Amino acid sequence: MTVRMRFPAGPELSVDELVPPPPAMPLAVGDERIMDFLTAVSRRLLTPALARRHPELGSLGFFLRRRELLRGLERLRAGLDERLLAFPRGVVFHVPPANVDTIFVYSWALAALAGNINVVRVSPRSAAAADAILEVLNDSLAEADPVVARTQRMVTYGHDDAVTARLSADCDVRVIWGGDRAVTAVRRHPLAPAARDLTFPDRSSFAVLSVAGWEAATVAARRDAVAKFANDAYWFDQAACSSPRAVFLVGDAARADAVRAEFVALLGVAARDRGSDVDAAMAVEKRVGSYGLAADGEVSRMTFPDNLVATLELATPAAVPREWLGTGTFGFVTIAELAELVPFLRRRDQTLTHFGFDPAELVGFARELGGRGIDRIVPFGAALNFAPVWDGYDLLREFVRLVSVDG
Amino acid sequence: MLTDVFTLTHPEKEERLRGELVELLGHHRRHCPPYARILDALDQDGEPATLADLPWLPVRLFKTRKLSSVPDDEVIRVLTSSGTTGEVSRIHLDRAAAATQSRMLARTLGTVLGPRRLPMVVVDRSGVVGDRRSYSARGAGALGMVNFGRDHLWLLDADDRPDVAALKEFLGRHGGSPFLVFGFTFMVWRYLYEVARDHGLDLSQGILVHSGGWKKLADQAVDNAEFRRRLGADTGLTRIHNFYGMVEQIGTVFLEGPEGGSLYCPDFADVIVRDPVTWREAPVGTPGVIEVLSTLPTSYPGNVLLTEDLGVVHGVDDGHWPGKRFSVLGRLPRAEARGCSDTYVGGRS
Repeated sequence: MTVRMRFPAGPELSVDELVPPPPAMPLAVGDERIMDFLTAVSRRLLTPALARRHPELGSLGFFLRRRELLRGLERLRAGLDERLLAFPRGVVFHVPPANVDTIFVYSWALAALAGNINVVRVSPRSAAAADAILEVLNDSLAEADPVVARTQRMVTYGHDDAVTARLSADCDVRVIWGGDRAVTAVRRHPLAPAARDLTFPDRSSFAVLSVAGWEAATVAARRDAVAKFANDAYWFDQAACSSPRAVFLVGDAARADAVRAEFVALLGVAARDRGSDVDAAMAVEKRVGSYGLAADGEVSRMTFPDNLVATLELATPAAVPREWLGTGTFGFVTIAELAELVPFLRRRDQTLTHFGFDPAELVGFARELGGRGIDRIVPFGAALNFAPVWDGYDLLREFVRLVSVDG
Repeated sequence: MLTDVFTLTHPEKEERLRGELVELLGHHRRHCPPYARILDALDQDGEPATLADLPWLPVRLFKTRKLSSVPDDEVIRVLTSSGTTGEVSRIHLDRAAAATQSRMLARTLGTVLGPRRLPMVVVDRSGVVGDRRSYSARGAGALGMVNFGRDHLWLLDADDRPDVAALKEFLGRHGGSPFLVFGFTFMVWRYLYEVARDHGLDLSQGILVHSGGWKKLADQAVDNAEFRRRLGADTGLTRIHNFYGMVEQIGTVFLEGPEGGSLYCPDFADVIVRDPVTWREAPVGTPGVIEVLSTLPTSYPGNVLLTEDLGVVHGVDDGHWPGKRFSVLGRLPRAEARGCSDTYVGGRS
């Protein structure tokens, strides 16, 4: 039973050698040797040629800049003092999703920054961007301290339960991305008693658009907002956990119809401008999803202006779909104020992207929600920006253990 | 070849079907609330000017929703299609719909089989026809066809091996005059063609009716033309009729004409090939997504369905029979999204 070594690139490794032994000079939280490496990776990812080919690598490169990493460490250290110390947890095993090519790096980089030994399963189905990242990581090794290659591993294996079982038994933290099915499948394999899981189950996300805020915005600002919304929605075929599935128009119902009409018209243009493509199979998929919802009731009107955009006008927030209905399928509901969403939103709901609201209004709304749903409230365009606080976890904090000294 | 169901020219059919279908759609709208809600949401109120203006349902909707226009206690049969992903269509038939579909299927196939039941070879095993309340597609296909023959030979044994001795015996008894052969296309190729060729059997009196697509034969570079050519050259079988149909429009089959290569629509059905970007009707010769129309569904709203098959209309009123003639080119791939879900599915199922 062997696995393919992707980073550091090398020969196949037997499962017994998969978890690296602790190095002679153990890694610390915020270890300079790791910082240097991540900074070098960031520089390479931000080279224009690469970022042009895979725009998502640009965001990743930005995330890994020294300044960003230091900011995360500062937030961690702000909660510590000379009597409360943070140390790496030990070995972290990451199971990232196959179809979002950059997640494995975010997940890994934060765990490495926290000083852990890491084993990352890179899916055999991962695409070109993942290969480009692995190439960058391997290229960056030359100038890195050897401890990086000795403690950090990215491997590829098929659906081999024995490998997953072994890594699960040997790790201190297991990070499972990829939704409910992935979490349930990996959880069949027991962890050591002191180890713990960090899970990222199925989530759904929505957008809120202030009717008054829209009306007050210039034409250019509206276009810009819709272009950002289109990016949030179409980047991962509207199927990422942070992709907005529905738009809540918040404000005067009598004025909302005109706002929706303008928004939908601009969305069609923006989706085309960003080069989104919805093929025949996806167009049919959208009809199946939309017609099904209509059959169930509560869709007062559905339109399919072209393959890119389908709109479903819904009577109440309760009718809003949490399931994926096909790329470019948007529910629309008009509500008088944000507070009307409180009974609708649940634990499963992750990101709310917004346009046209006061920051104070959004904070007030988050307080009203009281953590029962929605982990992030971010502007249009930021839905997919990975942040060190994700799904309600401060990831860096999850990757350290705390030691208290009462002297 | 005498026929009473391949008679209407395209203008005649357009006129007749439009009226009948408008009426049927109204009937389903009154009796199938989920269907009514779909049409309401689509704002479908105006009188459609042409067949192409009629609102279609995506055929997969019968896998995700129950759509029936008759009370449950009048349903005498629920047909199911097999699906690769565990989804199945559920088609609800009442007594009248069940009777109509088998009568119209008989009239359609009677065109090529003649009025009398013929001795029949089924290229399948008898066990494929199972539970009579809920049929699988393969079973339903075989069962629906079995009625058109007599003295049946089920060619395959329980392990799906062709029984060559039984086939030789069947041909000895019936091979001198017309007999019927039915099977799925790839099974006919694998289990009948190859066996008949290798054993030098004479199938020249056979009439083959087959369906199921070419995907499984693509790796052997066998398409419809090659299939017909090799069966003719190697076994003498030349009366070959491919057909296209689906459980969601049970009883309606689009039948290959005697000249080969084109499928024809019976008088109570039609096809529209749609451009997959504009969804308007594609011109003759331009491939697109196949929409099927039929007046047979009366107990469920399946009259106008957008399939997930690709096809092309070759011509209108210019073939062996009147109306549109077309080919099926393959299936639309299943849409897949990137997204964050579904990664490690673990284990071997």
